[in-house]
Amino acid sequence: MTELDPATRDALAALILTVADDELVIGYWDSEWTGIAPMLEEDVAMSSVSQDEIGHAAALYAMLGELTGRDPDELAYAREPDAFRHAPLLDHPRTDWAFTIGRRYLYETADAARLQALAGSSYEPLAQLAAKMRREERYHLMHVDAWLRRLAAAGGEVRERLVAALERLGTDALGVLDAPDDEALLLSAGILPEPMASVRARWLERIGGPLGELDLPVPSGGPRPGGRRSHGPDFAWLHGEMTMVSRSEVGATW
Amino acid sequence: MWEVFRQEAEGDPMVHGGSVNAPDAELALHYAREFYGRRQESHRLWVVPREAIAELDDPDLLDPPFDRSFKRPGGYIIKHKLEAAKARATPPDEA
Repeated sequence: MTELDPATRDALAALILTVADDELVIGYWDSEWTGIAPMLEEDVAMSSVSQDEIGHAAALYAMLGELTGRDPDELAYAREPDAFRHAPLLDHPRTDWAFTIGRRYLYETADAARLQALAGSSYEPLAQLAAKMRREERYHLMHVDAWLRRLAAAGGEVRERLVAALERLGTDALGVLDAPDDEALLLSAGILPEPMASVRARWLERIGGPLGELDLPVPSGGPRPGGRRSHGPDFAWLHGEMTMVSRSEVGATW
Repeated sequence: MWEVFRQEAEGDPMVHGGSVNAPDAELALHYAREFYGRRQESHRLWVVPREAIAELDDPDLLDPPFDRSFKRPGGYIIKHKLEAAKARATPPDEA
């Protein structure tokens, strides 16, 4: 593609930042299950999935570094909480296992629809990375889908907790696929091959079937406007945790 | 419990890798992948419910008390016989 004009480049950088922050923050929340997951095998699986997400974030921050000249480690660990641009879905704490599975299901399916679109981006590095991430996300989807079906079929308190989580998270899940800033610029440059609204429609259509079969609530309502720009006390706590080591000696190398 | 077998490359034998605890085959495969396949060390994985395995470990049957060395390839020395056969098979003008 031809050289990007500054406004389009800024819009592209902002788009990459939203995806990177989503992956970093869900990776950190779910990594909290390390040591306390329902069984040893699941402990390893959830820790490994979380590590994958943080790995995707690292690749996205590196791409952003190439584009803007900013240091990837600084992007991940030296920003204040309100400079993060993750979706409101990821502002909630880990809560319980059903909540984590409910959120992972909503996030992973929305992320899959987003990556499918980004794999067709005219910005070649992004298209290639999205294609690579999709190969790994396939397993994440299989893993969370297996858990969703089991919790839904378990009945009793397990199912109640799952239903409550999906009801609580439905609106915020829509925010994962909100239109990025300056979407028109991204669309005309082909960086986004289609508006996020149509990605969101495809996502809702895709999850409607499985959620319907399990008689689980489907996301509805309108996402919190500007939800990517401000984050509550739960994220402030997580931010403190995830930046603790890097803050302990700024600029340290190892 | 599920016993996990892994193959390192197409055509290699399936080798027992270890075991995972899982409620069913689907999750057992997920966990087998995490334990035995996420570092590109496996080309194929099998999970087998432990109950499906029939076991034989009777020393009377597997380790008989009498000398049975003639049943092992090393128990019958054929080196000199092979050499003699080779000499017979080689035409005299090539010898």
